[in-house]
Amino acid sequence: MTSPDGGDGQRRFAPDFLTELFQNPLDPGYADAAARKARGEGRTGTAKRVVSGVSALTLVALGFLLVVAYQQTMADEPARSQARATLIDQVQSRRSETTELQKRAELLRAEVADLREKQLGGAAVARLRDLEAETGLAPVRGSGARVSVGDGPMPVDPLTGQRKSEARVRDTDLQVATNALWAAGAEAIAVNGQRLTATSTIRQAGEAILVDFRPVTTPYQVVAIGPDNLAETFRGGPAGRFFRALNAKFGISYDVAEVGNVTLDAAASPNLRHAVPPAPPSSAPTPSSKASKGG
Amino acid sequence: MIAVLALIAGVVLGLVLDPTVPPALLPYLPIAVVAALDAVFGGVRAKLDGIFDDKQFVVSFISNVLVAGIIVYLGDQLGVGSQLSIGVVVVLGVRIFGNVAAIRRHLFRA
Repeated sequence: MTSPDGGDGQRRFAPDFLTELFQNPLDPGYADAAARKARGEGRTGTAKRVVSGVSALTLVALGFLLVVAYQQTMADEPARSQARATLIDQVQSRRSETTELQKRAELLRAEVADLREKQLGGAAVARLRDLEAETGLAPVRGSGARVSVGDGPMPVDPLTGQRKSEARVRDTDLQVATNALWAAGAEAIAVNGQRLTATSTIRQAGEAILVDFRPVTTPYQVVAIGPDNLAETFRGGPAGRFFRALNAKFGISYDVAEVGNVTLDAAASPNLRHAVPPAPPSSAPTPSSKASKGG
Repeated sequence: MIAVLALIAGVVLGLVLDPTVPPALLPYLPIAVVAALDAVFGGVRAKLDGIFDDKQFVVSFISNVLVAGIIVYLGDQLGVGSQLSIGVVVVLGVRIFGNVAAIRRHLFRA
């Protein structure tokens, strides 16, 4: 290595700092020290031993520094992932709690329905059942159509590293499908097993699609019960053309099939918006009269 | 040999003592490590060049770590901490790269 200062002790810096930096990464001090040693001015004896000791101590400090930095980085990491794991746990436990409560609500609702059938008779019960089937509050069985759509291939962009999301099925696509099915005369529709009612929502939340605030994932199965030509009507209608275009352009998978004898579960109990529990004593006869009227 | 032993002793010491770094010093730790690595690779290269000097090594180590820390501290006070950190890392990174290249030439003759 050539030293920029020629070993005469007078250090001259090259005018171009960056060139100097790239060409001579080594501290010029080493060359100076070597030159001093060559001239016989090097340290000897005790001084040399002391300096060696300090150098060793420096290396001890270096090892210490490396370990501390490593441990610090490692200690930071679990804190972050722990918080995430805790949140995931919470989400999952809340979700299972919701499912359990839902199940209990369904049981209670079945009980209520039983009691109501015992109280009411014949024609009223039949009418009530029809209404419940229509509004999605009771399970229904029948034949109809199944529309299957699924996310197309989503390659990662090599430049930006982001996933291309054009081929993702969006909430509006599912809305188009369900609306077309309703228009074609469907009497009951379920998206991935989630029965739709008059107040159901299909919404996008980030990458997920929520049907009535419950997440559904690709592939999406929209099952509808309705007239025999439901699948045909869907296929020939604007929605069918829309999905064929999506399939051709983005590779979103799309299929319509006729299905026979499928059962659609009831939707989750509707939230009562206006009805309130009656005040116990005075209005005791009112709910029954209301129920018979409504039933 | 002594150098390697001292390094291992430092690592063991760090593992045994398991010190907690005061939060105020935390931002300077990565920069200090980079600065220390620069001094180390400079030392190794000087050793291979046959011009290693203990005093020069100690001084460059301490001054590297201190100067890097002070630059980052100053940057933090001036509100350009991250930019100055990048500057420090680039300069030290270039030096480390150059020294490692020299070490590689020594070891592999390539």
